[in-house]
Amino acid sequence: MSSAVIAGLLVFGAVYLFMQREMLRVILGFVLLGHAGNVVLMAAGGSARRHEPFGAPGDLSTVADPLPQAFVLTAIVIAFSITIVMLVLAVTGRDEDDDTEADPEEARS
Amino acid sequence: MLLACLAGALLTCALAPLLTRVLGRDAGWLLAVPLLGAAALIALGYDDAAHSPAEPTPAVVESLPWIPSLDVGLALRLDGLSLVFSLLVLVIGAAVLCYATRYLERTDRVDRGKHAGFYALMTGFAAAMLALVLADDLVVFYVAWEATTLCSFLLIARSGDGAREPAIRTLLVTVAGGLVLLAAVTVMIVATGTTRISAVLTHDVWGGQPGLTTLVAVLVAVAAFTKSAQFPFQAWLPDSMVAITPVSAYLHAAAMVKAGIYLLLRFSPVFSGVPAWTVLLVTAGLVTAVFGAVAALRRYDLKELLAYSTMSQLGLLTAMIGVGTTAALSAAVVHTVAHALFKSALFMGVGVIDHNAHTRDLRKLARMNPRMPVTAAIMVLAAASMAGIPLLLGFVSKESMLAAFLDAPGPAWTPWLLTATAALASVFTVAYSARLVLGALGGRRGTMVREAPVTFWAAPAAGALAGLVLGLAPFLLDGLASAGASAAAGSTVEKHLAVWHGPVPELFVSLAVLATGAVLVLARRRVHAVLGPRAFPFSALDGVDRAREGTIRLGGVVGSWTNSPAPARHLAIPAVCLSVVALLAVWRTSELPPVRIAASEPLDWLLALLIGCGVVAMMGARSLISAIVVTGVVGFSITVWFFDLGATDVAMTQLLVEILTVCVMVLLLRRLPARFSSPGARRRVVALLVAGAAGLATTAGVWMLTGRREASPASEYYLTHGYNETGGSNLVNTILVDFRALDTLGELTVLGVAGLTIAALLHGRRPAADDPAPIDERSPVSDPGTNTVFVRTAAWLLGPVIVAMSVILLLRGHYEPGGGFISALVGGAGFTLSYLAAPSDERARVRLPYLWLIGLGVAVGTVTGLLGYLDGSFLRPLHPSVLGFELTTALVFDVGVYLAVIGVILAAFNLLGRPPSDTTKVLPGEPEPGASGPDDPPGSDAAEGTRTEVRKRRRTARRNTPADPATARTPHATHDPGEVNPR
Repeated sequence: MSSAVIAGLLVFGAVYLFMQREMLRVILGFVLLGHAGNVVLMAAGGSARRHEPFGAPGDLSTVADPLPQAFVLTAIVIAFSITIVMLVLAVTGRDEDDDTEADPEEARS
Repeated sequence: MLLACLAGALLTCALAPLLTRVLGRDAGWLLAVPLLGAAALIALGYDDAAHSPAEPTPAVVESLPWIPSLDVGLALRLDGLSLVFSLLVLVIGAAVLCYATRYLERTDRVDRGKHAGFYALMTGFAAAMLALVLADDLVVFYVAWEATTLCSFLLIARSGDGAREPAIRTLLVTVAGGLVLLAAVTVMIVATGTTRISAVLTHDVWGGQPGLTTLVAVLVAVAAFTKSAQFPFQAWLPDSMVAITPVSAYLHAAAMVKAGIYLLLRFSPVFSGVPAWTVLLVTAGLVTAVFGAVAALRRYDLKELLAYSTMSQLGLLTAMIGVGTTAALSAAVVHTVAHALFKSALFMGVGVIDHNAHTRDLRKLARMNPRMPVTAAIMVLAAASMAGIPLLLGFVSKESMLAAFLDAPGPAWTPWLLTATAALASVFTVAYSARLVLGALGGRRGTMVREAPVTFWAAPAAGALAGLVLGLAPFLLDGLASAGASAAAGSTVEKHLAVWHGPVPELFVSLAVLATGAVLVLARRRVHAVLGPRAFPFSALDGVDRAREGTIRLGGVVGSWTNSPAPARHLAIPAVCLSVVALLAVWRTSELPPVRIAASEPLDWLLALLIGCGVVAMMGARSLISAIVVTGVVGFSITVWFFDLGATDVAMTQLLVEILTVCVMVLLLRRLPARFSSPGARRRVVALLVAGAAGLATTAGVWMLTGRREASPASEYYLTHGYNETGGSNLVNTILVDFRALDTLGELTVLGVAGLTIAALLHGRRPAADDPAPIDERSPVSDPGTNTVFVRTAAWLLGPVIVAMSVILLLRGHYEPGGGFISALVGGAGFTLSYLAAPSDERARVRLPYLWLIGLGVAVGTVTGLLGYLDGSFLRPLHPSVLGFELTTALVFDVGVYLAVIGVILAAFNLLGRPPSDTTKVLPGEPEPGASGPDDPPGSDAAEGTRTEVRKRRRTARRNTPADPATARTPHATHDPGEVNPR
């Protein structure tokens, strides 16, 4: 249940930030969305068994699932590189980190 | 034989441009030969089949596999109907090609190829029409149908400046019809399970399902209406007469519009009893017949008059097919032939007049003195045939049509109403035929117009004479008409044509029509006075144009929904759609398996609370720095959660990535606005609503879909067999480098591409100018050299420790927490520390060829994978024993991971951390700092990149320095002695 709540909170924040004007906030939204994806993956493996998966454990009922962990590990690194690419996109090109053209009303305020 | 004919026609089309280049406009003579040859072959082939006694309905069938998996083949079938139409297509086509040799302007040696497009399209048109009338496969039929649409579009479009709009309108109407035909074809294929037309026509599905039959009948009828210009799709035909005369002649007489008639006749055996079919065809046909005939009477342009006349005649044919009796179908076949002959002759005759008199307006012709006896004779003969004057083919065909109308089935009033309407259309036909002839004959005074050479009028003369000969001896057509009618009716029909049938009712109708027509001709001035000023209240052309504009506007409106540079709109759409889908799923789900392993510990809830606080703080953050800082709150909370879940490796990775992300963001701080704008109330509410829905959907989805099963079989396999099979005790790492190494190799490649993207972006486009930071020169920390002394000391002490840690983590990764990813991130953190400790951007540059590192990492991973083939498959780890030590190639693979990841991190720091606006430092003519430093590896990417960069900056410096003071400010971190600041 807690993982469902955490994932929901992260997606809530991510989508809210997506709807903002500044590219940096959109990028932070993607960072949160990446976290949310990882939490969902971990939740898929189950959060009841929490012993570290090392060696050849005798009692399987307490050891965590290593497969989602492997997925999440690589997902974190990939999300990191994508974040850098988006950050570079935010600073190259136009000077404004902002979609003021699309929303003249807010630009005036 | 059929395939050979079709191939010959296509070959002619392919050769046409070449021949035209050699022969100029005279290529038409040669191009007509294969068409006539094919016509002869087809006639002989059908004759052979007709004389074989085994066949009740003679047909030649040939087939070539095309898409065998769908049972679609290039199946051709020549029966009576195909025979009639293919002869029309080929013979009229040949006549038009001969005619075109004199109609087209003479070309000199330089632009011989000017008419290449015309000849290629005309022969291509003929080939497409031939394929259409011979096709026995619905898919082939449809493709040929669309090919004729395209050919006619291109032929109209290439006829000069004013032709563009009519061509587009023609295309829109006919393509819309093509889509309707596609729908009909699809329904037929699905309903009958076959694509063979002959099998579809005899399938028993039509008898059993009246609804389906009606649907297909209506679709087929609408498709034919668009092609044959029947009400309400008639607009394009008069519109398209902007095309040059040979094109119009072919389009109106044998091709294009006849395709619709062919379609109706072809499917007549199936649909002739269907009420919707009958009503639709008869109504639309007769309305078009009367409308076209009346409209023709109001025209001054002879060609336009002919265009309306075509529409009217096709209307009669359509109504005839709608009546559907054997008499009606045979009359339709005969009239199709008659129409093809007189209409091609008339069009070509008008073309001759137009060519020599330079006008085809009958008012202008009346002020000229055409001395063109042969052309006049052609016009008179052909127009007489059109008007249905006895001793011409038109009389015979019209009389059989009237007979068929008089015998129409249905309530008692039907024959009378139909005959009366058809007779009305015929009366107007007589009137406009006379108008045409009188206009073509011209006046007696004025400019004299000379007769054209025989080569020019030969083709129309042949058509007009054929009408006369067949009118005198109509029995010559008996065989062709019977064959065509038999195929159209689906049963054997014996048609006997004769000039004199005795005093039958249709004779009296004919006489009445001619008499009334003659009255109209005599009173033509008064008729014109009545009709002339009366324009129709609406124009179908406007309708087409409005439909077209409406479509374009609709496209614009739909496009504008997503046409925005704001990421918000693009990102909101998937969020909203996914939320709706998820919430619908929640609403529709009634029963779930019980939660088996729902375990939430108090720490989880504490972390959830922390994450919630972090998220809310991120949402509310108004400045760049605070946003970056609170991002860490979320990241570190999740790191702790991963530790708690027993995912040590994951947690370590997350921890390091969190640190590095903040470091990268810090590099960009000065290039981004320091404060965020405050979103308006509307944006905030919308964002909160969308975000709330997405969050709710996520929570519901995760809650419903996870924690409701025991450990997966894959998980159990890794836990029980992982150690024994790989010798590695860190199961997560063994999954990464042993079991699912292919995934990891793919991820390395993605990382590498990300690194290359960063490099390409920053080399290709300058990053945004940074905001200058105000520096108090009196402050003791203003000098970066002394300011960073503590960090430098720490880095000096910690550097070797970090490097050693990184190596240890890499080596032990297979057994203990660690591995390629984690160790590379640790190493990257070390480089970051050294970067942060450097007193200036220039000195901080870590001179390692990062792009090489990325490539090397992927290469190492791939080579390790190839080594796996020694043991059977790609990426299978080997376990060689060297000097008693058990080694594994998985470790080498992990080294590849290490190299790629560290390459990406170095790329990010080197490229983003370069002096932000050093245009002031590299003034033209000055030595370039760092461009070819002694510690640059020769030929390394970094040095290469720097050199090009500096060259580029020099250019921008020349441009920018006087104009743009913003880019010329000195950044705070470059206060090294020796740097020149021009300010």
